[in-house]
Amino acid sequence: MVSTDLTRLERQARARYELGRLRRALLGALPLLPVSLIALCLSQRPASTLCLGLCSAALSVFLLWYGRDPQRAVLPGLAAGLIPLALSLCANQLHQCGPDGCSSFCAPACTLGGAVAGLAVASVGKRRKLGPWFWACSSLLALLTGAMGCSCVGYSGVLGLGVGYGLALLPAWLQRPKTTGVGSR
Amino acid sequence: MSAPAPPAQLDPLMARLADGDRSVFPQVFACLWPPIQRLCRSLLHNEADAADAAQEALHKILERAPADYDRARPALPWALAIAGWECRSLLRKRQRRRELPEQERSEPATDPEQRFVQQDLSRAALEALGSLSEADREALFATFWEEAGAAPGGVLAATARKRRQRALTRLREAFRRLYGLD
Repeated sequence: MVSTDLTRLERQARARYELGRLRRALLGALPLLPVSLIALCLSQRPASTLCLGLCSAALSVFLLWYGRDPQRAVLPGLAAGLIPLALSLCANQLHQCGPDGCSSFCAPACTLGGAVAGLAVASVGKRRKLGPWFWACSSLLALLTGAMGCSCVGYSGVLGLGVGYGLALLPAWLQRPKTTGVGSR
Repeated sequence: MSAPAPPAQLDPLMARLADGDRSVFPQVFACLWPPIQRLCRSLLHNEADAADAAQEALHKILERAPADYDRARPALPWALAIAGWECRSLLRKRQRRRELPEQERSEPATDPEQRFVQQDLSRAALEALGSLSEADREALFATFWEEAGAAPGGVLAATARKRRQRALTRLREAFRRLYGLD
């Protein structure tokens, strides 16, 4: 086979490889669909929940397609994000009404959920000795997934989630073993 | 295209590619293409069919690598098993369409009758091979590769011999079951 044919064959093979990765990434991100649907049904701000759900799904597909450390961030990130999501959706159903008006538990639940999610991501990152890309990608995914529920009280819920998450993650992030590169294990 | 890497290096390269490291793609391609082409030629005895089967096999191998490649097992037997399966599928397709071009064999037997017997035997062997488990097929293709001059890395010689022996026994049984003879 002449070299031009081989080059063409290599190009076609590369395209098939990427297609295989994309197909697998789409399948891998599929569990986000029922999660987003449940959040959409329970949320009081369906537009923002839908938007954040789509962002989470798109990011998951991209990370799974890309591979290496970002790919390893998807499962821990999503699992950690489910904690503030579940807590905020439950808290959203509870209201305490008194003489001064009604108050919601959404923001405290988001902060608490964010802290637990931060600790969960930190523990996985430290145990597996993964690089900065893992920490960044899993954090982004956890925050996006959690924000689907924490948008219940607007920006304050999302802010609470971010603060709780950041405070819990920061010590572990500072103590992490130094690794470089996207593919570091 | 980069120079082909030795087969022993294929396993870590394939693992990296399956993990998403695209920088090793040309090396994996260069490592896989020659043995796949050789296997398809030896099984199909037809240049055009072998090229078709080898290309399709290579596409399938690289498409399936991220999901199906088992890092604990050697890459080459896995890849050759897919190529062997592709050859079998192509032969069956040709058989169904009755398109087997008898005059285009690259290693022609001297008379048409002998040629027909040879084709029939190849087809029967591939059929029996297809009824085996993936592990058995990999063991047999690894044997083929060893005989072609390079040993696939990763499996101890004694283990490989035992696997090959068991796979051959099962191949004989399958052949006997399908065609009633050895």
